[in-house]
Amino acid sequence: MKKADYLLICALMVFSAGALIPLAFSRKEASRAVVQVRNKEIMAIDLLKDANYTVQGTNGPVNIEVKDGAIRVTQENSPHHYCSKQGFVDSVNTPIVCLPNETVITIEGEDESEDTVIS
Amino acid sequence: MKTSSTKKAVVLAFLVAAGILMQLIESFFPVVMIVPGYKIGLANITGLFALYAYGIKEMWIVTLLRIFLSALAQGSIFSVSFALSMTGGLMGLAAMSLAYKCGWFSIYGVSTAGAAAHSFGQVLAISWIYQQFFMQLFLPVLTALSIVSGLAIAMLTSMLLTRLRFSRALERG
Repeated sequence: MKKADYLLICALMVFSAGALIPLAFSRKEASRAVVQVRNKEIMAIDLLKDANYTVQGTNGPVNIEVKDGAIRVTQENSPHHYCSKQGFVDSVNTPIVCLPNETVITIEGEDESEDTVIS
Repeated sequence: MKTSSTKKAVVLAFLVAAGILMQLIESFFPVVMIVPGYKIGLANITGLFALYAYGIKEMWIVTLLRIFLSALAQGSIFSVSFALSMTGGLMGLAAMSLAYKCGWFSIYGVSTAGAAAHSFGQVLAISWIYQQFFMQLFLPVLTALSIVSGLAIAMLTSMLLTRLRFSRALERG
C-alpha cells in the first residue's frame, strides 16, 4: 500500500459520510395526503399532526385516521372492507383505494422508501 | 515471440472463462443483501489480474468480453441489467486505467478506485434509466462498501499474481 492508496480510501470514506448528511435533514418531507372522491380532490391532510377525519364517500362516511406520519381508513361501508384492512400507509407508492366508495388517498411529497426491485 | 503471444491468448481466454464462471456463481448467491445491488464482484479479479500481468488493453479485453459473454449465458443480454453492468464496467475500467497509468497507486488503490467508480456508474445508470433518484440514497453506502470489496479483490489478486509467478508485475506499484 502506498500513501496515495490511503489518501484515496480516506477520500472515499469522507465522501460517503458527507453524502449521508443531507439525508438526515430531508426525513420530514412526505407530509401531505390527498383524499379524492369521484376523481375530485376534496381534502389535503397534514401527516405530521395526529387526527381523525371523515369524508363522504359513495356508500356513506369514510373515517380516516392519521398517526405518526402514517394514514389509514378506520371505518367505511363496503362489501369487503379492503381499504380498512389495508392498515397504515406511509409511502408515496402505496395509495389507499376504496373502490365502492370511489375514495382514493395518496401521499404526496418526496419519498424515501424503496420498493422498486432491481435484479 | 510466436509462442509467447499464443500463451498470452490462452491465458486471457482462461481469464475470461474464469470471470464468467465467477460472475455466474456469484449471481446465484447474493452475498450481502443489506443494500440492493451490492456484490463483492469476484469476477473483477480477472480484470485486475490481466491489468497487472499484461496491461491496460488486456484488462479492457478481458472485462468487456466477460460482461458480454456472461450476459449472453444468463440470457439478460441487451436488457436493463446488461446496460447497468456495462455502464458500471466501463466507468470502473476507465477509473482503473487512469489510476494505473498515473502510477501513484498500488494494486489496492487501483482496485478501490475501480470499485468506487463501478458503483458510481451503476447508480448513475439506474437513476437515468428508471428516472428515479432514490438510488442516490444508496450511493454513500455503496461507495463505503466498495472500499471493502476493492481491498478484498486487490488482496486476492496480489496473492494470485504471486502464486502464479507474475509477481514482477506487482513491483511496479
